Amino acid sequence: MSRGFGLLDLLVGMALGLVVLGAITAAVGTGGRLLRNASARGEGEDTTQMAVEALTFDVRRAGYDPRATGVTPITEAVADRVALAADLDADGAVDPDSEETTAYICRGGRLSRIIGRQSLPLADGITSCAFRYLDEHGTALSLPAAGLDAAARARVRAVAFDVTLLPSGLAGASRRTVVVALRRTM
Amino acid sequence: MRGERGTAALAAALVALAVSAAIGAAISEVARTELVLAQTRRAAAAALAAADGCLAEVMTRVAPGWDFADLLAGPDGVAGNGDDGSLATPPGCTGGAAPAPGAAATRARILLRIDASAGGGRRALQAVVARGSVPAALLWLGTLPAADAIGGSLALDGVDPAAGAPAWASFAAPAPPETLDAWAAGARVASSNGTLPAWSAGPPSLAALAALVLATPHGDAGTLVTSGAPAPTLAYVGGDFTVTTPLRGAGLLFVDGTLDIRAALDFTGLVVASGGVRVAGGASLTVAGAVWIGSTLAVDGTVGIRADGAAIAAVDGFLPLPRRAVILGQQDLD
Repeated sequence: MSRGFGLLDLLVGMALGLVVLGAITAAVGTGGRLLRNASARGEGEDTTQMAVEALTFDVRRAGYDPRATGVTPITEAVADRVALAADLDADGAVDPDSEETTAYICRGGRLSRIIGRQSLPLADGITSCAFRYLDEHGTALSLPAAGLDAAARARVRAVAFDVTLLPSGLAGASRRTVVVALRRTM
Repeated sequence: MRGERGTAALAAALVALAVSAAIGAAISEVARTELVLAQTRRAAAAALAAADGCLAEVMTRVAPGWDFADLLAGPDGVAGNGDDGSLATPPGCTGGAAPAPGAAATRARILLRIDASAGGGRRALQAVVARGSVPAALLWLGTLPAADAIGGSLALDGVDPAAGAPAWASFAAPAPPETLDAWAAGARVASSNGTLPAWSAGPPSLAALAALVLATPHGDAGTLVTSGAPAPTLAYVGGDFTVTTPLRGAGLLFVDGTLDIRAALDFTGLVVASGGVRVAGGASLTVAGAVWIGSTLAVDGTVGIRADGAAIAAVDGFLPLPRRAVILGQQDLD
């Protein structure tokens, strides 16, 4: 025989409902955080990888000199900055306003690629970033604060780049170290 | 009442299921996107590595010389027909050669284009190739002799005494690196510490070098002296040459035949023998510089060759020596 739906039943039902609702909310929140973290981590990895690929692309072609006019591959070599030159259009000159002149600068938590006179931010949230310059034996050249002079730059056979990116709100950082050889066999 | 509770529970379960499915689908999509990106990167990296490897292999096939006329003439070596500019490339890539801007007449520089496919990706690159330094090999062999042809001693010192000068390779010959290593071990070639490993190279272009020597003022075997310090000069011997008394010389000694050594020959510079070198038991060949041999080498006596870049540079001042092909620069096209 049913005695109806009493106050106690209602309270128990509400309590159970709240528990279930809380569990669902917690699950949704956790899932959302996981999703955001995964997206941010993936984006951080992509950003770091793209920065490394861009540097690789530019270092590989540094010194491209089809008219043998004596293009200097590396025009500036500092710990937080490297500038590269190439005669891509084979006109015998390096145009400072075009992509024949590129530079990478790590400052203020940002890695930028300078193309000609235009700055293109590659990554924010950079926590460490450094260029090293290796000679023919793979040994890093001693790097003065003012950077390598012309004679030392002529000895550079490869550029090494270490970068760490930590997007805001993430615990895990994206790290890359790449060594790119200049494409000159002389 | 039991039915209403069941309906509410079902609804809550469905909502939870829907939310979980949506989150799972979103995470799955993120993972799928990352996977596609990673696969694309991997394919691009594999293709770029293949292009780099193809270029490196093509470069090893370019014989030392003075220009690139032979390469531009294509595989048949005849200029002015359909295969001009086509390159013989390893599997997985194709390539072509064209004169570099500003160097069309001299053929001194060329542009090599390489297209490679690997791992589902495709990449292309272009390299500027020019002539670099004289091959820095102490002993450049046209053919690799049998290991037992070295019955005496063959000592190679690739450390140039000049400060800062690069080390030299022990020897060069037209054979794979592993064959060269095996030969050096079998022939008990003694290489000093610091000497670079042997490298694979085609035979030296001695016919072209002989033509250059003949077109340049030169002397003959009489430029070799028995004592004192000989002045660097060009010497050409048109045929076999036998050394029966101790001789000294400097500069370039080009023997267009077999150099048969039965006494001591001490030379500073470049010794070339198109027909081969024989060193009899008790005899010796001592060279500060390099020895280029178009044919065989047989050593029952003693051969010692040490690097001397200055001596080779002096010869290069008399007449231009063949040079290795080097990459001046490179750019990725797509």
